[in-house]
Parts: sequence; structure tokens; C-alpha cells
Amino acid sequence: MEIMRLVVTGPVGAGKSTFIRTISEIEVVDTDRRATDETADLKSSTTVAFDFGRLQFGPDTALHLYGTPGQARFDFMWDILIRKAHAYIMLVAAHRPHEFRYSRRMLAFMRQRSDAPVILGLTHMDLDKAWSQKDILLALGYVKGSQQPPVIVVNPTDQQSTTRAILTLVQYYFTILQAAPHPQVYEASQPCS
Amino acid sequence: MAITGHLAEFSLAEIFQFLEQGHKTGLLTITPLPEPTDHHTSRSHYIWFQQGRITTAANRSDGRGLVTLIDKRGWLGSHAAGRLLKSCDLSTPAGLCFKSQGILEADQLRMLFYIQVMQQVCALFALEDGWFHFDSSQKTPLSEATGLSAPALDVTLSGLRALKNWTVLEEKLPDPNAALISMIDGKPTLKLKQAEWQVWEFTDGRTSLKEIAKHLQLSVRQIQQIAFRLIVVSLLEEVPILKPVSTPQPPLISSQPPKAAAAEATPSPAKKLPPSSPETVNATREPVSQSFLNNLMGFLKNQA
Repeated sequence: MEIMRLVVTGPVGAGKSTFIRTISEIEVVDTDRRATDETADLKSSTTVAFDFGRLQFGPDTALHLYGTPGQARFDFMWDILIRKAHAYIMLVAAHRPHEFRYSRRMLAFMRQRSDAPVILGLTHMDLDKAWSQKDILLALGYVKGSQQPPVIVVNPTDQQSTTRAILTLVQYYFTILQAAPHPQVYEASQPCS
Repeated sequence: MAITGHLAEFSLAEIFQFLEQGHKTGLLTITPLPEPTDHHTSRSHYIWFQQGRITTAANRSDGRGLVTLIDKRGWLGSHAAGRLLKSCDLSTPAGLCFKSQGILEADQLRMLFYIQVMQQVCALFALEDGWFHFDSSQKTPLSEATGLSAPALDVTLSGLRALKNWTVLEEKLPDPNAALISMIDGKPTLKLKQAEWQVWEFTDGRTSLKEIAKHLQLSVRQIQQIAFRLIVVSLLEEVPILKPVSTPQPPLISSQPPKAAAAEATPSPAKKLPPSSPETVNATREPVSQSFLNNLMGFLKNQA
């Protein structure tokens, strides 16, 4: 079985669990638990380990999707997931500027741990309080002249929208792979069984 | 689209970082919350930016903030200053106009700018909450401008160094168990204080803020505050330090049920394994073949 692993990450309430539930062909295995801290202000439950979804598109080929926990204190799980991910999408709610700093910190963490390609998925762009794409990139630390990731506006509840986001991510991974001067950088020291 | 919100959510330091990094031009309006009940107290504060630099600030919107400051110092009556302003070139900041007419010296302009910006704006860092709005269509009013400007990050550093009550920023402070990494190449060009330089020396991604505090014999809270200052002027970033974890096992590479994997992936104090490091990243990621990617992209295109 050949598997590609994609990670869906972002702050609490960005829509990670919903995104995976929307696109997965199987019933998502989640580890949501009742929120008892400040997260409870946003939603009644939160992901404490990770969400898992799958898309099988051939007899021996499948896409696995992992949603990270949104809370910082579970960061060991981010590490496990990101180290195994081929690519990841960071979901950012465009109308919640107070989460931009946290997203920025998550991106710094991810970049430190992995060279996997990332794209940004902006949610809630239709709301009045939503910041523009350009300003969100800036708030996340992508200043003029720096290499910016592809950005896509996504509705985590919409199947076509989430599929387009995953397609963008896979296409970006493909582009990066094609452009890599030394493809062996992606070789693993231990074969998957 | 909106650049608006509450200071309790997006702090003044973060706004300044955003405006400086984006080389923004426009007017930032800060309205304290709850709004003052005293009608004599100004309701809003205005800070103008030009290409990410602060050009002037005022707590009134009638364009007479600068002449009032000059009047208060007894350098020129506000009526006389107002009349002189009318004779100024329409493209010259009032401060430079007064200087060219021999009314103000360069030192006096610097003092006016210090009062306008460094004093008035730095005081805003202590606001517990407020509503902010940035309007990029507004340019610096020449009647309020001295002709001087300061990088927003310099003002942030000064404002946060002077801040006594950090309650408002409590939730923004970096985690004492996190480490720091540099976000720049080379050394900072900003003028840092000794303690800031000392913290800067620990940007290795491994030493926690708690450990830095021990090394420097400062409180953890002091180190958090210094680190926050350096983060919002784009010198540092906070990264979590991870506990040693076991090498990830299925289902990340097989079809084992995720719940079992979640349990397995939980760090076990009994296992003595080396901490994961960036160097090991590529060793744990299997490539996918080009035919796999082509098939997947075709499949997704059909679905979308």
C-alpha cells in the first residue's frame, strides 16, 4: 500500500476536525474531548490527540489525513505528525486576529521540525471582520521579499472546497519535488512495511 | 477589508510589528475601552504611519495638536502658529516650516517629536483594552508633523521597556518552558539593552526561558517580558521544547487504528529515547512515487 500523509494544522477552532470530516471517505476517528479550559469559550470539545481521515483512490493507494490538536500543550503530537507528513496545510480563521500570533508560532515550530511543503488555508473570509489575504500573510510573518506559501480560501464544511485545498497542497508538493535538485532528500532510511 | 479589532486580542505591539513589516501608510486610531466618561478627556488617540514609520501622533483630530504643544512650551502662541501655518508650503510638514522660518530649532523639533510620539504613544501600551482601526487612505496631516519619524519597532521597544503593569499582555508572554530561535541573519541592528543582548545569546532553540532565567539570575517573568519584546520587534520567535518521544509507529505507516496509535505515541517516561531533532526529519518520511501523485491529482480533480 502506497500512502501519502498530509497534516491539517492550525489554532483551536480553525476548522481542522471539520475539514477532515468533510473530505474523508471513512468515518473520522477523532479524539475530541470536552474542553475544560479557555478552549471551551470557542467550542464544547477539542481534539486532544489527532483526527484521522482517509481517501482511497486505488487498490493500493491512499491518502491519509491527520489533524493536529489545536492546543499548545499537546505539541509533542505536532512533532510526531509533522515529522511523518509529506506536506501540510495550516488553517487560519481570517476573522480572528488574536490567533495570528499563535499561528505564527506554530509555523515557526513546523519549519524548525520539518521541511515539508506548507500551504495556508484561510477560513471565514466571507465575514465582515475578516482580514485580507495580504494582511494575514503579513501578520503571520511573511514579509515582502520572503518566500510565501500558496494560499487558498477554504470552507471546511464544503466537500468541493476541501478537495480543492488538498489538490492545491498535493500540486504544490509535486512542484517542490520536481524542483528539488536532490530528490534523494526524500528517501527514507527505513522502508515502510 | 478590515484591519480592526481589540487590543486585548491583538496587542499594540503586534499592531506596530504588523504595520512596520508591511511598510504601511495610514492612520491608526485607538479608542480606549471602556470609553472615558469625562467629556474633557479625549476619546481617541491617533497615530500616523508612513511606510511603516511613525510620523506623528495626537489625541485630537482637529489638526491643532502640534501648535498646542508649541504653545504650551511658550515657544509661539497657538494663534500666531496657526497664522504662520497658513503661509507654509502645502507639502511641508509644519515643524520643518517653523524651522525654515527660524521659529524653532532642530533640538526643539526633536523634543516636540519626543512628546508627540514617544510619550503619547508609549503610554498607550498600558491600555487594558481598546478598539483599533487602521485606515490606509489617511495620510499624515502636515499641521501635526514635525518632519521627523521613528521606526514603529523602536517605539515598541521603548514602550514595552517602560511598561510597569504587564497584566494586559499576560496571555501573550512566551511559555517559560519554550525556547527561542533567531528570526534574523546575523546580529540585531536595533539598539538593545544589556539584558536583551544576554537573552539574545540564548537563541539556540534548546534552552528554555526558565533555564535562561537561572543563567542570567533574573526572574522567569523578567525573561518572558524581555523575550516578548524581542519577539514583537521580529528578532526572535518562541518554539516549544519537546519531551523525548518514541519513534512514531503505525498507523502513520500502516493501517493500525488511530486510537491505538495515539496511545502508543504518548510519551512514556520509562522509555529513554533521544529527543527528536530537525536532523532526523527526512529519515522518517517515505517518498511517494510520481505515478502515485499523478493518480491522486487526477482523482482529486474529478472530485473537485
